[in-house]
Amino acid sequence: MGAKGDSGVGSARRGPGPAVAAALLLALVLAAGGCGKGESGRRTVVFWQFSPLAAIEPILARFEVENPDLDVQVEQLTWQSGREKIVAAIAAGRPPDLCELGSTFLPGLVADSTLRDLTDQVADLRSALVGWDVSSYRGRAYAIPWMLGTRALYVNDDLMRRAGLDPSKPPATWDELLRAARAITEKGHGAKGFGMSAGEREILFKKFMPFAWGNGGSILDSTLMRAAMESEANLEALRFYLSLKPYSLLERQEMHEEAFTKGRLGIIISGPWLLRKLPESAPELPFTVALMPRPAPGRGTPASFAGAEVLGVFRNSKRPEEALRLARFLTRPENTMPLFVATGNAFPAATASAADSYFVTHPKDRVFLEQLRYAVGPPLHPRWVQIEEIVNAELEEAIYGRKSAEAALASADARINAALAPAP
Amino acid sequence: MSGARGRPFLGIAPWGVFFAVFGLFPLAYAFVLSFLSLNPLRPDLVRWVGFANYERALASPSFWHALRTTAFFVVGTLPVTLTLAYGVAALLSRIRRGETFFRAAIFFPATLSMVVIALVFKSLYAEEGLLNGWLAAVGLPRVHWLQDPSLALPSIMLMDVWASVGYYAILILAARKTLPREQLEAARLEGLSPLTVERRIVLPHVRPVLLFVVLLNTIRSFQIFIEVFVLTRGGPLESTLTLVYHLYERAFYHFEMGYASALAYLLLILVGLVLLAQRRLIGRGAEAAP
Repeated sequence: MGAKGDSGVGSARRGPGPAVAAALLLALVLAAGGCGKGESGRRTVVFWQFSPLAAIEPILARFEVENPDLDVQVEQLTWQSGREKIVAAIAAGRPPDLCELGSTFLPGLVADSTLRDLTDQVADLRSALVGWDVSSYRGRAYAIPWMLGTRALYVNDDLMRRAGLDPSKPPATWDELLRAARAITEKGHGAKGFGMSAGEREILFKKFMPFAWGNGGSILDSTLMRAAMESEANLEALRFYLSLKPYSLLERQEMHEEAFTKGRLGIIISGPWLLRKLPESAPELPFTVALMPRPAPGRGTPASFAGAEVLGVFRNSKRPEEALRLARFLTRPENTMPLFVATGNAFPAATASAADSYFVTHPKDRVFLEQLRYAVGPPLHPRWVQIEEIVNAELEEAIYGRKSAEAALASADARINAALAPAP
Repeated sequence: MSGARGRPFLGIAPWGVFFAVFGLFPLAYAFVLSFLSLNPLRPDLVRWVGFANYERALASPSFWHALRTTAFFVVGTLPVTLTLAYGVAALLSRIRRGETFFRAAIFFPATLSMVVIALVFKSLYAEEGLLNGWLAAVGLPRVHWLQDPSLALPSIMLMDVWASVGYYAILILAARKTLPREQLEAARLEGLSPLTVERRIVLPHVRPVLLFVVLLNTIRSFQIFIEVFVLTRGGPLESTLTLVYHLYERAFYHFEMGYASALAYLLLILVGLVLLAQRRLIGRGAEAAP
């Protein structure tokens, strides 16, 4: 098994400028060494993924034992630069054989027919895995769900207690969330009640849309042909979300997590990775993990954002059959659980994993499993990059008070419809 | 060509090959790309669009917004960096003890990767960061350095000035060191004040280096990218959307490689024009200076 590290964000002092093309060219040259026959005549499968090599290599070693004719050359990407690297490799005509892809990157690849349609080859996996909705477009599967991520509420028990609230009853409805955020801000001795994302536009829809989805709202209509941002459900959700602002710390996600760790933020929305960090960075911090709040008792759902790590095979992959064999192996529960335990970022898409004894001894992780049942992914639409940009921009305008909730959603609706309109 | 005459060319050949492959070729390639509609994911759909990418850029509000932001960055940082670098160099030239230590300390930021610097400043500027901790300690309200649209760009500019001053100060200091000591002593014997010595003797002497510093800083400031990438990603409310970050987004998020290349060439033309203007304005006589 071969392995290459990734240098992450470039260390050059300044940015691309006219050298955007140079990056492509360089990638072409570097990617040229990626394929062929490995030692002792075994065929090499090039696999790019985002997990630390220490976590994935033992799994791949087992695959090589099970498949003695194949040699896996694994490379670790970073979330900061992985997208550019994949794009450059595709442009150079030398993509990896198998690649881990984030669900928000997937629509663009599907739109450009870059990925192979795997529908017929993975039909037998349909019932063994969940998350097909984020990897399918118009009923065809363009990737295989591997790991699924979602976000839930983290509540600081001490701050709840100080605010006169019962930490064993974390906010379950919008009203309870607002009351808790207000009480913590007012009685928390400088602590803020809620973490509202700001200054990182790219994740705003992930933070707001759960409230809208839980209220029955959506970004596009059921035909995926028209925007549905201006709906009453979305408007009610955005008005509620903005009502949290006076009691919120407006910061980036990582700063929310830092403030929560220091006991200066009462409630944040975060992913399972924080469960791994908190025992190390704040072992004394008492906290509860709870489902996202629903609009009201008995109304709506405790929806959250669903992110998926899927495995895709590119159209001009050199070894598609072998790549698919590796993908099938990776998605088996006995291989996804060790990866989840090692990284803690996302949960296995294999349905059988839910019965793993790990979740019996780790109740907070189990909350995320429960949360996944209500998680909603972004629509897999060819124009998703533009749609996402519009939604995030309009949400940012609303959060910064430049537009009312009504105006922001109306503008989002108009702009999305303009983007979806067929070119003249 | 004789062996002896060819030897120097042989010596620079490795650099020449490197420059041709990684400098000239991408430059020419990007120029061709700027006339194409090219999605790197679908190279089979490439088509020639002539000047359409340039026309689109010049009609795009985002381009002009990014240009304004970049211009604000350049105009805001250049005079401050230059003044501070000149002042620091003047102070360093007067230090008699521990000069090496102070020179190294001043130059230190230039040895760091901008990614590292940006990550450090990201922590400093955080709501719970050191700067707000100091403000809170003296009873001042916290400042939303990177979250406030009116403060985000100045905060990045401040970081950039800190990161750049040391490098330019050392360049100016090196130029000052070439000034003959006798000339300075003669001026003092003539009874000239330190300010007059600085204005009449030192400043004209270091003028070519100052011009170099201005040109270099202008080029680097127009190319600002890493700071924005690490700290703000162009936000909040696009208040830090610079030209290079804008073209990066078009290239790698929207896969519009041809359009991004056209933006890059517009930037190149713009920087070229600004450099020409700077040379005309402040460079006159610089080459002739002692």
